[in-house]
Amino acid sequence: MSDKEPGVPPSKTSSETPVPVVEGRGIVKRFGGTQAVDDVSISVVPGEVHGLVGENGAGKSTLMRVLAGVLTPTEGEVLIGGQPLDPGDTRAALDAGVSLVHQELSLVPEMTVAENILLGSTPTRAGVIDGRTQRRIARAALEEIGVTVDLDEPISRLSVAMRQFVEIARAIARQPRVLILDEPTATLTPAETDHLLATLQRLADTDLAILYISHRIPEIFALCDRVTVLRDGKLVIADEIGNYTPDSMVKHMVGRELQLDMEHRRVEPEHGEVMLSARGLKAPDVNDVDLDVRAGEIVGLGGLVGAGRTEIVRAMLGADPRTGGETTVTLDGRRRRIGGYRSAVHAGIAYIPEERRTDGLSLTMTVSDNIALPNRSSLSKGFVLQRRRIAEFARSLAETVNLRPPEIEREVGQFSGGNQQKVVIAKWLGRRPDVIVLDEPTRGVDVGAKAEIHRLIRELADDGAAVLVVSSDLPELLELSDTIHVVRDGRIVGVLPGVGTDEAAVMALAAGQQEVDAA
Amino acid sequence: MSSQAPAPTTPHPSPARAEDEPEATPFKLSAWLSTQGIVIFTIALVLFAVVFVDGFASLPNLTDVFNRAAPIGIVAAGMTFVVISGNYLDLSVVAQVATAAVVLIAVTNAVGLLPAILLAIAIALVYGLVNGVAVGVFKANAVIVTLSTTFIGLGLLRWLTGGSIYFGDSDGPIRTFGTTRIGPLPLSMVLFVVVTILLSLVFTRTNFGFMVRAYGSNREATRLAGVNTPAVVIGAFTMSALGAMLGGFVLAAFSNTAVSSMSDGYDFRALAAIIVGGTSVFGGRGSVMRTLLGVVFVSVLTNIMVLTGLGFGFQQMAIGLLIVLAVSVDALARKTRSS
Repeated sequence: MSDKEPGVPPSKTSSETPVPVVEGRGIVKRFGGTQAVDDVSISVVPGEVHGLVGENGAGKSTLMRVLAGVLTPTEGEVLIGGQPLDPGDTRAALDAGVSLVHQELSLVPEMTVAENILLGSTPTRAGVIDGRTQRRIARAALEEIGVTVDLDEPISRLSVAMRQFVEIARAIARQPRVLILDEPTATLTPAETDHLLATLQRLADTDLAILYISHRIPEIFALCDRVTVLRDGKLVIADEIGNYTPDSMVKHMVGRELQLDMEHRRVEPEHGEVMLSARGLKAPDVNDVDLDVRAGEIVGLGGLVGAGRTEIVRAMLGADPRTGGETTVTLDGRRRRIGGYRSAVHAGIAYIPEERRTDGLSLTMTVSDNIALPNRSSLSKGFVLQRRRIAEFARSLAETVNLRPPEIEREVGQFSGGNQQKVVIAKWLGRRPDVIVLDEPTRGVDVGAKAEIHRLIRELADDGAAVLVVSSDLPELLELSDTIHVVRDGRIVGVLPGVGTDEAAVMALAAGQQEVDAA
Repeated sequence: MSSQAPAPTTPHPSPARAEDEPEATPFKLSAWLSTQGIVIFTIALVLFAVVFVDGFASLPNLTDVFNRAAPIGIVAAGMTFVVISGNYLDLSVVAQVATAAVVLIAVTNAVGLLPAILLAIAIALVYGLVNGVAVGVFKANAVIVTLSTTFIGLGLLRWLTGGSIYFGDSDGPIRTFGTTRIGPLPLSMVLFVVVTILLSLVFTRTNFGFMVRAYGSNREATRLAGVNTPAVVIGAFTMSALGAMLGGFVLAAFSNTAVSSMSDGYDFRALAAIIVGGTSVFGGRGSVMRTLLGVVFVSVLTNIMVLTGLGFGFQQMAIGLLIVLAVSVDALARKTRSS
């Protein structure tokens, strides 16, 4: 470790190497069996804006949380200003000047702007809150980032973007030496983004060190001095920004060896009429989306986490309220508008949600009960459930999806993730859906189960169903889809054919690299 | 020697079962207590009472136990639907039992038995709808909603009756119902068992019971399966209301009198029976039959306390203690199950 210091930027003047404000050496972080971060070293020096980029699940957020002392590394060590940090000591990291701006907003909605900015370090005099000092510090922090907002306004009354700025002011109020930001522009408009980037640049000029995590390539090029690229938890490259081009950066991000399972790809699938169609769809985080899925077609929705893919499908199906636009389903030549979610189910749509444990399954119920739930009407005579038919029905579906062990009277919670996902799919296969929407159908699923789920999806399309798949797994998207729609900021920014498209093409659209080209 | 050659085995459930036996979940005390424990405890308690408590195993005493257990048991059986749906409890049974009892006697005296029963059913449906809509549609907190409807219902009843006691006709149908026996059993006890079995069938065999359990197990997954979830909640509160109404009838028939304060404490007694029976307040787990066991346990325990001269105050304290214990075991079982 000592002979070579990876990640330390080449000193501008050879005589004095600035001491990194925060440094991670050989960081390894495992969660159970998965290696989220694998032997990564990184350092940030005063006045530097260090970009950390990578695909979904590359390990950016995990690494960041290790550096901020929120997570304890499995191996390796974190140094703050050259001093080792006690593993997982959040307080010590804070006191040493590491300030983390969270991706998920962590403000208290009922409290005011001033109260939130000093939350956790509220100034007191003899145990009584010192309101004047609180307001002074809060005002100074807001001024520093150039934002005007009423200090007494409750957070719940602010826009999402303004909350993000308050969050940053909160980090600034702690007078940090290093500021870590995780996707801070995800909720901002272009103008707000520009303001934030300019503010961060100014802060860096005052010798603050900034670690900036984003998968938005234009921002990285606008702001960062150095960039570290992660892929599958490993460090790919760390270099000065001048040595990258947008293209090369995308290649570093996705450049895993292609292990596409193209041999199972559907060959020249036949597409019929449009069965599922959305026009002018609007909802929170969904901006004017048009989308068509034809009979026999598999449409993939690609994009980065937070791009609004789940929001789009949920708004399409009425699972979350829409603010505009409409969805229609065409069956047997009859077009029907989809109002609420239940009308979508009645129209023959099957929806496999993103979160199987919270939304897809009742974990305390048996496999058989879970499978029976969406099929209860066809499995009962009048009000009475036909227990024997339910058992037969569940058994045959468990066989179709190859549930292991094939024990339908076991509680679903006792099965592995992959087999739980098979149960979610089995629930809906029983309805012989004409339209099926799957959100991250193979997340957290082992390779074998994944191949089986892919086979089922292909079979559904071969039988004439219209299939819409949301996936953050690029190879999966490329293997399955006949057509790929790429989503960014809640809108579809590009439509690519499934054949002949590579990961970089999808990634370039998803990360907004095209904006650079246009600029 | 052909027998030594490995016989070609067909892939069959037997090997799968064999390899699953060892991986069966390890024994967890809290999980056992909350599911199987009540059976053993109830048997043990009854045996203890028979052997050690003077006067327990006599026909007059057992009849008294049954007569007191029947109305609470019917109320608890109905309320079990609310608990399994994951909405904690229905406190408004206190108001509902008293209202049904007063309506049965007062309206029968004034107009007749059939109008009394019809009015009581209408009131029960209104309770189910109001509680169900507030909780199921508006997602209001069930404890506060039903506490409030208790106030509304009891307040209305006291306002209209002025707190008077109503006496039934000394040879009317209510009196007859209250005194009829089938063999050694009072009719109310038979009704309790019949109602419990009926509700148990509704719970285990019908589409509605299935949806109640599914909703209590995971609301969002159930909604996303296309279930009309507000209707399920309204249905659960309606079952509770109908149980409370029948409980009120039985209570009124038992003494042939009715007064607005006669059901005090029914909320917690019913809840004690449900929770002690092993139905989880987190929803999704439990059954009406468990509630039957819980009712027997709580009733026998109360009777033992009465027979051994422990006063009402002590009984109340014991019930409270029992609930704290049972919900703690329930929470602990849930924690150990999920880990």
